[in-house]
Amino acid sequence: MWPDHRLIDLFRTEFPIVLAPMAGVMDAELVIAAAQGGALGSLPCAMLSADKAREQVNIIRQRVSAPVNMNFFCHKQAPVDPSQEAAWKERLASYYREFDLDPAAPINAANRAPFDGAMCEVVEELKPEIVSFHFGLPEQGLLARVKAAGCKVISSATTVREAIWLEENGADAIIAQGAEAGGHRGMFLTDDISEQPGTFALVPQVADAVHVPVIAAGGIADGRGIAAAFALGAAGVQIGTAYLRCPESKVSAPARLALAQGRDDSTVITNVMTGRPARGLANRFMREVGPISPVAPAFPHAATNLAPLKAAAEKQGRLDFTNLWAGQAVRVGRDMPAAELTRALAGAALARLAKLSA
Amino acid sequence: MPISTPLTSLLGIRHPVLSAPMAIIAGSRLVTAVGNAGGFGILGGGYGDKDWLVQEAAKLQQCSAPFGIGFITWSMAKQPELLDIALEANPRAIMLSFGDPKPFAPRIKAAGCLLICQVQTEDMAKQALDAGADILIAQGTEAGGHGASRTTLDIVPAIVDFAAGRVPVVAAGGLADGRGLAAMLMMGASGVLLGTRFYASVECDGADEAKKRICAATTSDTVRGMVFDISRKIWWPAPFTARTLINDHARRWAGRETELVHNVEAVAAAYAAERDAGNYDVAAVFAGQAVGLIHDIPPAAEIVERLVSEADQILAGRRNFQAA
Repeated sequence: MWPDHRLIDLFRTEFPIVLAPMAGVMDAELVIAAAQGGALGSLPCAMLSADKAREQVNIIRQRVSAPVNMNFFCHKQAPVDPSQEAAWKERLASYYREFDLDPAAPINAANRAPFDGAMCEVVEELKPEIVSFHFGLPEQGLLARVKAAGCKVISSATTVREAIWLEENGADAIIAQGAEAGGHRGMFLTDDISEQPGTFALVPQVADAVHVPVIAAGGIADGRGIAAAFALGAAGVQIGTAYLRCPESKVSAPARLALAQGRDDSTVITNVMTGRPARGLANRFMREVGPISPVAPAFPHAATNLAPLKAAAEKQGRLDFTNLWAGQAVRVGRDMPAAELTRALAGAALARLAKLSA
Repeated sequence: MPISTPLTSLLGIRHPVLSAPMAIIAGSRLVTAVGNAGGFGILGGGYGDKDWLVQEAAKLQQCSAPFGIGFITWSMAKQPELLDIALEANPRAIMLSFGDPKPFAPRIKAAGCLLICQVQTEDMAKQALDAGADILIAQGTEAGGHGASRTTLDIVPAIVDFAAGRVPVVAAGGLADGRGLAAMLMMGASGVLLGTRFYASVECDGADEAKKRICAATTSDTVRGMVFDISRKIWWPAPFTARTLINDHARRWAGRETELVHNVEAVAAAYAAERDAGNYDVAAVFAGQAVGLIHDIPPAAEIVERLVSEADQILAGRRNFQAA
């Protein structure tokens, strides 16, 4: 049995495992499958319209009775800086020529909007059991409305300082996100990526600093990692990368192949895809322009001018400009249905916890 | 209840806790204290100061517990006679880190000594096993002092899988308490090696001011880089960098390493003077990401005792346990 029940009690899930919200590569299908296996399914809403988010949650509700987590970004949206924009276009010009794209053609702005009043209304209407935020928490008025709707609120900390801030500002549980994690660093009190410790150094220090349950995230992809996280003081784990190759994800066939070939050293932390540091499989663009570039415009504007390149390359079956976010545990990922994977992860962790405490 | 693992049987120790061979500051006092407490202390032979080694090895003649002696392999290779001095002290094991152990393995084995090799990748683990390593230390980037880039959560299970039961694997990097020991046993490791935790102990020969700074630091107060190696004109081979507490000197030069190299003579002279004066706003305190778990400077025996009793309670389900 699980040595710590606080998260299971808070979420009312079968297992203390959270499927990480992975914007752009998953939708309701993966949420449903992971929830059927006993995990907390998380729907990434940062790139969805209010209507689309509503539709997705309704699909989930029709298919499973398990609790659901709606995930939002709550960064402060930076205005487009014309000079940054021009410098970035200049940096991308040779790629536009290579793919025969018109740099003057209109492009839709990158669609990663922060949580706002319109989305808050959707939350109030749908009342998901859990709402998770990335990049801190929304302003107090919005947060109060989310809580008044009965939702439990969780968010990510990349340092002890951020964990203390989240607890003081109302988080019901805290994701301790270590440097191994795929996707965007949840950091919001610092922009120095060297401050983010490894998961196993971070988890016990966060557990000492806060009273709410701690969810370990970053590099955990098998039963022994889950068991170790509990020994370090976590009450649960959040797992993303291990689910990317599940048949229910929306990862494209070439991307699946790249993930299957991924090794522990295949990922880098880069800011060139979106403007914020995120870990993913290294691609041609990250290698040639990054992985960290001072020229990349602020989040999420760096993604805007990359979109035509990504689409053009993907049409040719190439991932040169595809942000395939993945954590350091990419080599442990498995190609199996998400419900089965969830039960396998929980079973392996429980077996290890039982064996050592016998 | 003692925690028995393949490591404890092989080394003939009570507890699967090793103290790291921190250059010069892990002297005979610390090694003896850890050994007498049932752990395994490893003398910090470091870059190879012959007089220091002779003096500390002589003191270890009085140590009745098994102990080890550690070296920075690429540096020791410049004065291979140091290995003979070490072997004459009858250590249970020689620990080699950062470089190919093969040239030294036959002498170590011939002396009836165990060979411990610290590794940061599978390729290094292969090199170590080919050389005849008896124990592998899998070191994550969280570690204080020199190391590489992969994290403990990544490298420990990778090396456990790679070793496949042939030799015990010890976890290092970012660990400081019984939770870390229990977690690493869950990951399949046979024990832990701790540096920073033992730095902040009574018997460590580090400066009091450095120990106090470790106690005051939080987990985000360390940085891994090359600034201090360049400032000491110690030219480490790739891929190794060092993790230290962040101080004024680190802040001043981080990201400007090329400029630092161009000014190295002047900077190195100034750095040495400040270090000798005990100014830790300039001088490096080598410390890992576990600093945020370290708040006191107890005797080493108490550290070993705390680690083992806390890990035992976790493994027995009596801690980190909330009623259903």
